[in-house]
Amino acid sequence: MLFKKMLRDLAENKGAYIACSIIIIIGIMIFTSFTQVMGNLRLSQEAFYSEQNFADGFAQVQAMPLAEIKKLEDIRGIEEIQGRMVRDVKVLFPDREENVYLRLISIDPTQENPINGMELMKGIPLNERETNIWVDNKFYEANNLELNQEISIVASGKKRDLRVVGIGRSPEFIYALRTSSDLYPDPETFGIAFIPLEIMGTFFPEGAVVNDIVFTLRPGVSYEDVEEQLEPELKPYGLKRIFPRKDQTSHLLLTTELEGLESTATALPVVFLSIAGVILYLMLRRMIEQQRGQIGILKAFGYTQWEIMLHYLSYAVAVGITGGAIGGLLGIALSYPFTSLYQLFFNMPGLSSEFSPSYLLLGILLSLVFALIAGYQGCKGVLTLQPAEAMRPPAPPIAKRVWLERITFFWNMLSVQGMMAVRNIFRNKGRTIFVFLGMVFSFAVLGLTWSMNDLIQKMIFDQYEIVETYDVKVVLSSPLEEKKVLRELYHFPGVKKVEPLAEVPVTLKNKWHKKDVVLLGLPEDSSLYNILDKNYNEIKPPRTGLLLSERLAEVLEAKTGTRLQAESPMLASGEDRELEVVGIIPQYLGINAYMEIGAVQDFLGQEGLATSLIVSIDKEHIPHLQKEYRQSAAVENIDDKGERLEQTEEVMASFGSMIYIFALIGIIVSFAVIYNSSLITLSERGHELASMMVLGMTPAEVNSVITFEQWFIAVFAMIAGVPVSKLMLLGMSQATSNDVYTMPTTMTGSSLLIAVLVTAGSIWVAQQVAARKIRKLSLVKVLKSIE
Amino acid sequence: MKPIIVARNLAKYYQMGEVRVEALRGVDLELYNGELVVVLGPSGSGKSTLLNIIGGMDKASKGELYYEDIPLHEADDKELTFYRRNDVGFVFQFYNLIPNLTAYENINLSVQISKNPLSVEELLEKVGLSDRANHFPSQLSGGEQQRVALARALAKNPKMLLCDEPTGALDYRTSIDVLRILKDFCKGYGKTVVIITHNTAIARIANRIFYLKDGKLDRVENNDNPLPPEKVTW
Ligand SMILES: Nc1ncnc2c1ncn2[C@@H]1O[C@H](COP(=O)(O)OP(=O)(O)OP(=O)(O)O)[C@@H](O)[C@H]1O
Ligand SMILES: [Mg+2]
Repeated sequence: MLFKKMLRDLAENKGAYIACSIIIIIGIMIFTSFTQVMGNLRLSQEAFYSEQNFADGFAQVQAMPLAEIKKLEDIRGIEEIQGRMVRDVKVLFPDREENVYLRLISIDPTQENPINGMELMKGIPLNERETNIWVDNKFYEANNLELNQEISIVASGKKRDLRVVGIGRSPEFIYALRTSSDLYPDPETFGIAFIPLEIMGTFFPEGAVVNDIVFTLRPGVSYEDVEEQLEPELKPYGLKRIFPRKDQTSHLLLTTELEGLESTATALPVVFLSIAGVILYLMLRRMIEQQRGQIGILKAFGYTQWEIMLHYLSYAVAVGITGGAIGGLLGIALSYPFTSLYQLFFNMPGLSSEFSPSYLLLGILLSLVFALIAGYQGCKGVLTLQPAEAMRPPAPPIAKRVWLERITFFWNMLSVQGMMAVRNIFRNKGRTIFVFLGMVFSFAVLGLTWSMNDLIQKMIFDQYEIVETYDVKVVLSSPLEEKKVLRELYHFPGVKKVEPLAEVPVTLKNKWHKKDVVLLGLPEDSSLYNILDKNYNEIKPPRTGLLLSERLAEVLEAKTGTRLQAESPMLASGEDRELEVVGIIPQYLGINAYMEIGAVQDFLGQEGLATSLIVSIDKEHIPHLQKEYRQSAAVENIDDKGERLEQTEEVMASFGSMIYIFALIGIIVSFAVIYNSSLITLSERGHELASMMVLGMTPAEVNSVITFEQWFIAVFAMIAGVPVSKLMLLGMSQATSNDVYTMPTTMTGSSLLIAVLVTAGSIWVAQQVAARKIRKLSLVKVLKSIE
Repeated sequence: MKPIIVARNLAKYYQMGEVRVEALRGVDLELYNGELVVVLGPSGSGKSTLLNIIGGMDKASKGELYYEDIPLHEADDKELTFYRRNDVGFVFQFYNLIPNLTAYENINLSVQISKNPLSVEELLEKVGLSDRANHFPSQLSGGEQQRVALARALAKNPKMLLCDEPTGALDYRTSIDVLRILKDFCKGYGKTVVIITHNTAIARIANRIFYLKDGKLDRVENNDNPLPPEKVTW
């Protein structure tokens, strides 16, 4: 019997229940899809790492004989250690303009299960004596290669042909970036190739030597202990960098992504379920108020309190289970395209989605728990009601004056509807708070979304249009070729300006902080690379001391005046030197330290050193320049800034779709909050509103009572939303900033304006939809019932 | 004299699944300016239905209804809203005041939307509630609330006042107060007042009495010597 009553009640208020369920559905959908994708990623990551023996530590040296590596196995804590030769080379594809690189990694084909080994997906084992290679699957696919095809590379100025005999993937390049300043993998222009060491040695003048070392640790050993022992051993071979797995680029980015997924998978569903919970709570409480009489009669019949309570809880259960089930199913469905999206970026085996009832159950359970808590809170009033008391109408709401009325100037400006609205705001505090918080959240998310959009644009624009104003960067193969190439370049057609640049790997230390970065040496009057302060004033690279990027200063806990210990493999003397921080500048892409180029040369004790030349050149001459130097021994690479900018923008465009998802969430939340609060008001005060229509007020005039109330709250919510949005942005920046990019935290005025407009727009639409209900209000019916 | 309201063969049906409830079954009537009409009839005879249709709150299923030659049976929602707004005042058994507006503000609500409203102060004076202007409905007795509701209906200065059992929930003395105000409005301003009641005694203040039965106007009785409300007893 009561079940029938429930169905009828649900049908009567279907708008509000549907809206409530939709919010639950969205929350659960996000929960199941994200947790499922995260679970898949985690599992395949772990499996892949252990399968391919992923390294715990990494080191880079200048050159080291292979035989010396063996001795390092005796270091306590090291399980296995292997030396490799790693070199980036250019690939010559006929009729391809842009630069394509292949990272050659030497391998010993006889070694079983090598560290960071490639999982062979297709093809045959490498032959030690032949110029054959394995390439990674993404590069292979992106460039339409075929097995047994030969590809040409340039190594030390000579063209070599390599035969592709296998394809596979490596745990070291799940997320394959060529340099740490790239943002996204681009398999079309960067690939990994494994090649026998002996063969690789013949490509380069120094022969088969090791410049890259990977090692695994025994269980329970700390990386730091091993590093301490390993460092002095590697020093004599020109140690460039030694770092643990957690700093390895691919691993770092995968971990960051997983953490991001995890926080999204918890935060968003909690927000949505809380909103749905509040709506459910408000609806049930109102229903119980309105059905006091019925409750009294049921109690008088002899229904126990728990039977009645269960009856009202069944509404919550119905909404919770439907929402959870639909949301769970949609979430699982969504996890398929989601997983394929990740397959695009993360290259590992076993990354697929499958139907898993456990996630569905978890989703339903989660939604049910939320619904039950909200439901219980909403209908616990049933328990305290005595039958006799229940049948009397509820005590009339205490109408009283509110403090705002004392501001007579404001009060007198209001229409009578305005007065009603303002009093309602204070009379119904629970709902006011709900609407307020909902609007604050929605506004803050929208503000954050558009700020991020603006800031990403700013990050890219600042770096590529204001800071780096050169057109191409000519990377020299040897630091001492500067003069010759400089002279050549000056005579190259279209070249307007050439400046030397020194990019020196250094390790900076302060107290217990330590960071490997690139020290940039720039000419004092450089016009192709501009260092700017916060206010876009140009700063000259210092002749004494260092400029640090904000993030670097933060990591090192350094301020202007701090004296840092600096160490570099290029340091002639090999000892640490002290450098003073003379300034801190904003830098959003990458982290660097800066000095005048002469000062860098003095610091290193190497006269006339430059690693690259930056060139201002007419656009149409760039391909010409690239062709000219493609096979030059003096030039390692010609980096076209326009190409890099294009790639970055392409990637950011895909990031843009993420932004729309966030915006959508903001819009949905404000719509749901406003729509539901309208519906609740309508059913709570339908009588009041109908009697206004009897007076001859138009639906719009009647609706203004509700809308005035909502706009009034919304204005304050938007004001409160500004600092909340700023806080979210700070949190976002803290969470996402890494060595690749630092997110600025300035809120832009235009993004706040857009947030205001979008929030207001969704409020307005929600109000219009709800207003249709007012027009349908049957006067006769409403007035027949006694309030 | 020209009637203000003309109803011709007015009918109202409610389709409830298989069953058709006929609330009104062809009513013909006229209402004139400045007259007070009382509608009597057993419960379920269609009194409220008739009043709601005349007042533009509901639409007839069949028949014609004219207000000063305007065909209300052809009017859309918007036109009906403006008809209620400018020309009709309603009073109900349950006062339907807005709980969180004071007496003054409740009346003002009506003033705000009308073209030539009466003054709120004057109305409060007339219904004898000047000193309660700033009280909320919950702070007023039933009779006082009904007087505020009356003032609110009158404030728009409508041509016609329609009252559905206005004294149904009130005691004798308060009822008489309310009836006197209605009569004053009718006589003093020359407006049409229609009162639905179950109390046959009240019929004696009317100029005409309509008897409704089974959704039909059974008969109309003229009363040439209506009593002043004070003289009515029950
Ligand atoms: N919404 C509705 N649906 C179905 N039938 C209705 C509806 N409203 C009224 N009726 C029917 O129409 C008839 C007339 O109702 P109405 O309310 O006009 O009677 P009344 O004369 O005002 O009665 P009372 O003196 O009890 O108020 C009744 O039989 C009622 O059942
Ligand atoms: Mg009736």
